[in-house]
Amino acid sequence: MPEVQMTEAEFEVYLAKARELSLFFREIGPKYDVDNTFAYPSIKAFKDSGLGALPVPKEFGGPGGSILHTSKIISELSKGDSAITLAYNMHFIMVGITMGLMSETQNKYWLGRVADGEIMFGPFSEQRAGFSGLADMKAVPQSEGGWRLYGKKTWGTLCEAADIITTNATITDADGNLPEDFQERVNAESFFIADFNVDEDGQGDGIRIEKTWDALGMHSTGTHVIHFDGLFVPEDGFICEWRSGAFGVLEWASLMFASIYLGMQYRVLEESRAVLSKKTLGATFGAIVAQDTKVATVGHIIDGIGDMASRVELSRRVLYQTCQDLIDGKDDEWPLELRFPYIGLAKTFIAENVMNMTRHAMSMVGGSSFRRGTIFERLYRDSAASMFQPLNSDQSRTYIGEVLLAPEQLND
Amino acid sequence: MSVFKDAEEVYAFIGGMFEKAVQEPSFIEATKNTGLVVLVTQTDPDATMLVDFPGQKVLVGDAAANATPTVQLRMSSDNSNKFWQGHLNFTLAMAQRKVKLDGKRSVALKLLPLTQPLFDTYKQVLRDAGRDDLLV
Ligand SMILES: Cc1cc2nc3c(=O)[nH]c(=O)nc-3n(C[C@H](O)[C@H](O)[C@H](O)COP(=O)(O)OP(=O)(O)OC[C@H]3O[C@@H](n4cnc5c(N)ncnc54)[C@H](O)[C@@H]3O)c2cc1C
Repeated sequence: MPEVQMTEAEFEVYLAKARELSLFFREIGPKYDVDNTFAYPSIKAFKDSGLGALPVPKEFGGPGGSILHTSKIISELSKGDSAITLAYNMHFIMVGITMGLMSETQNKYWLGRVADGEIMFGPFSEQRAGFSGLADMKAVPQSEGGWRLYGKKTWGTLCEAADIITTNATITDADGNLPEDFQERVNAESFFIADFNVDEDGQGDGIRIEKTWDALGMHSTGTHVIHFDGLFVPEDGFICEWRSGAFGVLEWASLMFASIYLGMQYRVLEESRAVLSKKTLGATFGAIVAQDTKVATVGHIIDGIGDMASRVELSRRVLYQTCQDLIDGKDDEWPLELRFPYIGLAKTFIAENVMNMTRHAMSMVGGSSFRRGTIFERLYRDSAASMFQPLNSDQSRTYIGEVLLAPEQLND
Repeated sequence: MSVFKDAEEVYAFIGGMFEKAVQEPSFIEATKNTGLVVLVTQTDPDATMLVDFPGQKVLVGDAAANATPTVQLRMSSDNSNKFWQGHLNFTLAMAQRKVKLDGKRSVALKLLPLTQPLFDTYKQVLRDAGRDDLLV
């Protein structure tokens, strides 16, 4: 982990900006959920806030916020609107990942641009297999140097706002053939960074956006398909071999996703309290038979809110402590192979809790929460996305279990 | 059948590469305050080497097994022969449990950037000994 360069007083200024931007996201969020499009006015607001530069180290022109500072900012924004924030979360993830892997010269150039307000995104997942699938996208070497990228990425969150693209592709031979040998294929899978220039119809030179995003939730992420029809990446756009590089820096992915869903938990609790502290059922004849029943006095509602608050507090502690452990280098003590899934536990724990909370909120608030347009049905839909981002709970458990059950002898 | 006849061959070639590395000024500089003391344990044939980068010494056999490392690296002797020539993807080999790396992450990760310059040294050791048959 890079050293923490930002003081808490400096951070307060950023947090205040995040609170302001969060209110704006909260205001516009419902419209873009209904419209099922990217929240376009968020672009200017995000750029104006200067928050995108937060994790950029001071030597590259940023304020040098830590992973914990970044996490807090993301949760604050997500409290306003998780879908809009999930889009900008891709920027923070890719800034975190690239800054740990790029050369000094690359960091100076690309992070300098981020410090000046530019936005990054990172489409990696493909149709055949998501994040864990080796890239079928090809990087074909060019005789004049550099590569042309050919293929399709099916999850291009934030593409409508981005200036810089980061992605993975497998370097082929000059004729565009992927290596047949598995190890060679792993060696050839590479991490690239390039300019992302498309016009307002999403058409660029060798790259285009196909607007396909239509999903259960997270509508305003604008997670469209990105077609690479020969995008040219010059030699200095090569960052590193992808899997070896990513191995050491994927905390930026899992902990930033965790931060999104922690912010969503804050919102679920806030909205549930707001409704349930006031709601009156009048005369009831059911579990409680009374002339006037206030839901705030019903046992399972009292317990339910207590349960939610406990989950929020536990999630917050797990996330903050995981970030702090990384800052303090405590991950040094964990078995090397388990570092990534152990870091990922914060995300899987929070994902499971947020899904529990959005379902529970609906059952406590009652049928009205099921109507389209209520905050609860939106949070319920949006929280389902937490199942997928890497590592998911199933894969984390498999990963950990496999390591722990592996026989002592090495396989050859 | 392993590419190495016995532990002595492992010590002569892989150990020989480490002997050169610990005396090499750029390595001495790069590993000065790292605490990088690597125990390399190989199987088939079994061989144990301790590479004490800051102490600039290499121990083999029982002497190596009795010393205290900060990082432990385990793999078969065939994979070691491939690895030190740059033909084994370390991350993949770890994920496939062909290689095991133990120790504090911050110290262990200091080893990896050092391996690249050793590939040429190892190949040269093999060529000098007339063992081109071990080149992959
Ligand atoms: C709202 C949203 C936004 C997203 N934005 C982006 C983005 O900007 N960029 C991006 O790259 N991706 C993005 N994704 C994609 C996401 O992170 C996943 O990569 C994607 O959902 C597909 O991967 P998967 O693992 O879910 O499915 P698959 O890879 O198709 O997996 C199918 C099944 O196989 C299992 N599986 C997969 N691989 C392994 C393995 N190696 N070992 C064991 N089991 C395995 C999975 O657990 C799952 O059960 C986004 C997803 C969502 C929901």
